[in-house]
Amino acid sequence: MRKMLALILGCILSFTVQSLSAQSIITGKVVVEKDGTPISGATISVKNSRLSTASSFDGSFSISAPANGRLVVTYVGYKPTEVAVSSTPLVIQLTESLSPLLEVVVTGYRTSSRRDLVGSASTISAEKIRNTTLGSFDQALQGQVPGILVQAQSGQPGAAASVLIRGKGSILGSNTPLYVLDGIEITAGDFSTLNPSDFQSLSILKDASATSVYGSRGANGVIVITSKKGKSGAPRFNYDVQYGSSTQPENKLKVMKSGEKLDYELANGNPFGWTTSEVDSLRKVETNWEDVFFRTGRTKNHVLSASGGSENTVYYLSGSIFDQTGTVQNTGLKRYTGRANIESKAGDFVFGTNLSLGYSDFKNTSENNTGIATPLNAIRWLNPYETVYDNDGKFSSIVSGQPNAMQELLLNNNLRQQYKGVGNIYINYNAPFLKGLSFRTNWGGDLRVNETTVYTDPTTATGSGATGGRGSFGHGSDRVFRYTGTTSVTYATEFGADHTLSVALFNEIVNSKGRNFAFTGYGLGGAFQNESGITPGNATNGFIPFVRGGGGENALLSYFTDIHYGFKNKYFLNVGARRDGSSKFGANKRYANFGSVGASWIVSDENFMARLKNSFFNELKYKISYGSSGNQAGIGDFQSRELYGRSVYAGVSGLVQTQLANPELQWERKTTFNTGLEISLFNSRLRIVAEYYNSLTSDLFLNKQLSRTTGYASLTSNIGELQNRGVELSLDGDLISTKNFTWKANISFTRNQNKVKKLVGDQTEIIGGITINRIGESINSLYVVRYAGVNPANGNPLYLDLNGTETETYSSGNRVIVGSFESPYFGGFGSSLNYKGFEVSAFFSFLTGNKIFNNDRTNVENPQYLTDNLSVDLSTEWRKAGDITKIPNPTATFRSATTRFVEDGDFLRLRNASVSYSLPQQLFRSIKFSSVRFFAQGQNLFTWTDFRGFDPEISTGSLDGAQYPALRTITFGLNVGL
Amino acid sequence: MKCKLIISLTITCLLVMSACKKVIEVEPEFVKDGSQIFRTLNDYEFALTGAYALFRATGYFGTGGQTNATWATLPDMMADNLLQTGEDLGNWVTQVNWTYATDENDIEVAWIAAYSVIAEANLVLRNIEQFAAAEPKKVNRIKGQALAIRGMAHFDVLRFWGADFERNSASLGIPYVSAVDIDAKPARLTVKESWDNILKDMLEAEKLLADVDKAINTASSKAYFDLVAVRALLARMNLYAKDYTKAESYASMVISAVPLASRTSFTNIWTDASASEVLWSVPFSAGEGSPSFGVHIGSSNRNRFSPSAFLAARYDQANDIRFPAFFGSRGTGSSTPVTPYASVARKVVNKFLTRGTTLDNLVNWKALRTGEMYLIRAESRALQGGAKEAAGLTDLNDLRAARITGNIAAVLTGQALLDAIALERRKELFGEGHRWFDLKRTSRTISRTDPVLTSTKLTLAPTAREWIWPIPQSEIDANATIKPQQSPGY
Repeated sequence: MRKMLALILGCILSFTVQSLSAQSIITGKVVVEKDGTPISGATISVKNSRLSTASSFDGSFSISAPANGRLVVTYVGYKPTEVAVSSTPLVIQLTESLSPLLEVVVTGYRTSSRRDLVGSASTISAEKIRNTTLGSFDQALQGQVPGILVQAQSGQPGAAASVLIRGKGSILGSNTPLYVLDGIEITAGDFSTLNPSDFQSLSILKDASATSVYGSRGANGVIVITSKKGKSGAPRFNYDVQYGSSTQPENKLKVMKSGEKLDYELANGNPFGWTTSEVDSLRKVETNWEDVFFRTGRTKNHVLSASGGSENTVYYLSGSIFDQTGTVQNTGLKRYTGRANIESKAGDFVFGTNLSLGYSDFKNTSENNTGIATPLNAIRWLNPYETVYDNDGKFSSIVSGQPNAMQELLLNNNLRQQYKGVGNIYINYNAPFLKGLSFRTNWGGDLRVNETTVYTDPTTATGSGATGGRGSFGHGSDRVFRYTGTTSVTYATEFGADHTLSVALFNEIVNSKGRNFAFTGYGLGGAFQNESGITPGNATNGFIPFVRGGGGENALLSYFTDIHYGFKNKYFLNVGARRDGSSKFGANKRYANFGSVGASWIVSDENFMARLKNSFFNELKYKISYGSSGNQAGIGDFQSRELYGRSVYAGVSGLVQTQLANPELQWERKTTFNTGLEISLFNSRLRIVAEYYNSLTSDLFLNKQLSRTTGYASLTSNIGELQNRGVELSLDGDLISTKNFTWKANISFTRNQNKVKKLVGDQTEIIGGITINRIGESINSLYVVRYAGVNPANGNPLYLDLNGTETETYSSGNRVIVGSFESPYFGGFGSSLNYKGFEVSAFFSFLTGNKIFNNDRTNVENPQYLTDNLSVDLSTEWRKAGDITKIPNPTATFRSATTRFVEDGDFLRLRNASVSYSLPQQLFRSIKFSSVRFFAQGQNLFTWTDFRGFDPEISTGSLDGAQYPALRTITFGLNVGL
Repeated sequence: MKCKLIISLTITCLLVMSACKKVIEVEPEFVKDGSQIFRTLNDYEFALTGAYALFRATGYFGTGGQTNATWATLPDMMADNLLQTGEDLGNWVTQVNWTYATDENDIEVAWIAAYSVIAEANLVLRNIEQFAAAEPKKVNRIKGQALAIRGMAHFDVLRFWGADFERNSASLGIPYVSAVDIDAKPARLTVKESWDNILKDMLEAEKLLADVDKAINTASSKAYFDLVAVRALLARMNLYAKDYTKAESYASMVISAVPLASRTSFTNIWTDASASEVLWSVPFSAGEGSPSFGVHIGSSNRNRFSPSAFLAARYDQANDIRFPAFFGSRGTGSSTPVTPYASVARKVVNKFLTRGTTLDNLVNWKALRTGEMYLIRAESRALQGGAKEAAGLTDLNDLRAARITGNIAAVLTGQALLDAIALERRKELFGEGHRWFDLKRTSRTISRTDPVLTSTKLTLAPTAREWIWPIPQSEIDANATIKPQQSPGY
């Protein structure tokens, strides 16, 4: 303390000394060079002195400086600028900096410049996702930065993507990253009621140094989202509007046409007993079920925002409407959001709130299953000689007994209304009595309410299958509220000439509580298709309603610290430690400690680099870190306990054991080593980040196998180890950069190698269906028998045995690993050209090296499903000795777990292409607009893949069936600022 | 300055302290922690209800999306009473065509389903004795039922997995689980040892249920194991074990307690309008699945298995009350009603379709009936021979007389009588889950003469390994003790 006082004294003294020389008051204004926008909060300091000030909300400043002195103006994200002192008011123009080390990175609990950041974090600016036409913003992250694998999974409007940071670190637990919005944990995979254009930036935290402060939730990486803050000054308005349309992508799995199917039926026993005249008339019917189900979807998006404020209070307000209809009839998403971010300063206090409210209306259809009542399966399964409507205009009944899928799709509905509120309030207090000491508390919550209604019409197969056989109406309500409260004290100081130190202590509480209730009533078909339509049950009508409900709760209590030390602004050291207590774990294992240590070094600032630095070489940073974080997601709230749930028998309620106890259950622990280089070359026009990581998850959640005579298959335990290691590379270049013409290009690439290191006891493998987790191999390796075609002599399928010899005998003993669902290589690349405001850009994403099991094909290549439509390939099945074909004779036993249905998952996709034109300012300045930009963009316009389905983006590795392909969307839009 | 520092430090400390350990002391509200229950006898009764409910589980009497109702309709599908049609989409083809191996999922599901019932029964039996002094008769009632459940489920496992059913056979039987221990790795006992354990539980149940605090079932609801049901089960078990005197004696006890249904009541049994001659049935209500979705889904009119035409021809179709109650026909289309057997070509099983008019497959699963007791007694008496053979014939004729209008009593002896009893079992217990086991315990030959699909396999020889189900691969992998005891041929 005494030393601190000495420092402060020193400051005051130096101030006094400076004041003694000839001073005059200099005034001026700091603005952005490009468009003249005032910059508030820029630091203006007098060179070679300790005097400094900050620009106010309108960019103006005043400072006393010697008449012959120079002023240095700095602001994050802009190039430092030096000007000579002048007696007339100065207008200091700052140009945006390309230097990567000046970039701001928000790591959740701390904001730092990339220069002193020790950990591995990638940022994605708001601009990249501002105009996304995807209902769930995570879809837009695909290929943008290395280390993060984003797969669409579904094209249903509003569907969340599968997001994976640096490979799968858990087998049984969740692999989903932690999402934090303005310091508040938000529910992963539930973003369709958030407006992505409210986001300022996203940081993807990848290594232990960055994630260990998130302790037991950080192992899968963290995505930190910061919403837009207001900027002081006159109100500025922005209006973004887009209109567009979507179509389904090309289908590569062809099914038979009427003639082909009828010929096939006749060749295989004529199961429906068609007469010749029936066959002749059916041949004339040709229904393309793809055309029946798909349509052109429409997208509309309006976003209006306002930002401004006084010197002490700033605000950002926005409202949006997003309306998208899917390519499948009767599907879509309508979203309305509003946001208010307000921050105010009063003396030593800064306080504010960020609040987002949203409402979404979803119309969904069931997907990714093999159900016969799932309309999307009908595209494959319904015979082409069937029609949607009969001659009387009624829904036709399908000969094979399958439901009329169009009737199912149009008459039934599956609606969801989501109400979502995410908000926080915070108070920051900068202690006036000790510079650098501050206190902060931030409390907020994520409230989500889903109201789901499912109506089944009595005339549909689903409706007639309902209790009582007369349709159903279900209404469910599901509410989850999670609050996060973080309280911290931070002390940041400089001492000596070269030392900076920041120490922060935190306490955090996270509590999540959910409750749900649902009823399904029966006996519909009257005047109403809602709650009013339900017929009360009685002893004879059988309309007994189905009522259910439940809930859960979990909580986390944490104490943690983050210590950051810098020396000569060149050497940085970061230490993080966190102690977490979780309600999820066994009494013996409630608390766990996580921590990390990391260092970075600005090599380019060393003297020995001086020569290089003055030529093409601008910056070189080296970083290294090691540490641990945990995973507690993906298991139940009370997974460690022996549980009993409600059970009903003969109308009497009782209890049934639902879970066995494991008091030793604890966190999965992921230990990560990370090292990397950040380089910028050629006047910072080429920026390179290269990283290597090696992480090991231990105490893996795995199922300890039990003798099934216990009534249970397994018990969730902490056993096993899993490794992910890889390389990430990103290149970002301004190939041409002149005043009127720029050409930019970027590449991100990730190589991730996943390996199972240890399983239960001395077990070397766990087989689950067609996959295996074997020590030394990637998780989710495909484990099937190799298919070797057809024996021309008898049409029987041939398989390879373990020695590679062909055999007609199928044996599960001949299964081998033929690849993995996990993707070892993925990334993206893009380029943009800009000439006088006219811009063309394209962005591609790719993935290679993974396998997909195409279960959809097993259902149309199985000759047993003769009564439904089949793949065109079956027309080439073996019929007589000597036939050379890949399709066996139809009486041979059909086996699906073979390489016959394993396909490469490789694809290259034109993820986004856009053309835009920003009007020159002089054109509209007179009407007070600050910017006007027209654009047209396309999502998923082309995909190059051999995968035989609609879409190769399948994160689960197996396409079960009923795929809702990712939308191919073209939109036209306008951004206006005033 | 110091003062302010102290104030702010105090505020910080208060904020931190408020976040004490209580934050993570969260208790489940919608489920019970194991430590919260088994404190009163009522908790044991709750768990008993849970054990009964598990009989409805997929793989036991319940049909799942991918797994058949193992002890309900599957045994008839695996034999020659029910025949797979194209509308089944090949769902249970491995069982129906006997192509299963050790990794057959449905077999694993069945294995776990049975042992889940056993595990829940063991939870009821664990420490229940602590209440015996205070409430002896209530303990008898709960414990007796739990023992019967445990015996019944083990017996059902033995029916599929037992190498044979001889009372003193040294062949491979099944693991017998009588305690709660999740780390146990039990071995397969011999068939004799399996019987020893099953019958011990059943006999104790018989003793306890004779002295209870209140009636277990009512006249209209037979959802629980009472004394009569336990005796009926003992009759069935002894028939399998070839202990014919005991089988006869237990069947007699049941017959005298619960006579056969009248002809009017008999039809009503299948719509649950009457509980006449029902000894134990598992209730299925809306939302609880169905044991018969695998046969004919009434609501969507999906006829996955059609009744054997060969068998239908064996009935006196005009006079046998069973025929219209069991067999029907139905055109396609979900709103088409079920019509008499002769009406249309598409034949359906209409035995398990409805309680009233809605074809929702929601009817109680009749697991034990007096009709079976007549057949058990007839067979036991015929096999004991001598003077008993005539009594066996009388049982057969009595049952026929109760079912067939104007039945003329048959006169049969020897093999002809046994064959007639076997055929009568097929006709009386059609679709009720007996046929596969009846063939297994008698002839071990299947010969299907009237398949619907060309892919249906026609014969299964007595020597086929498939008569004895394989121990699931997952059990072999997890249980070293049972590893060398796989069923022969797998």
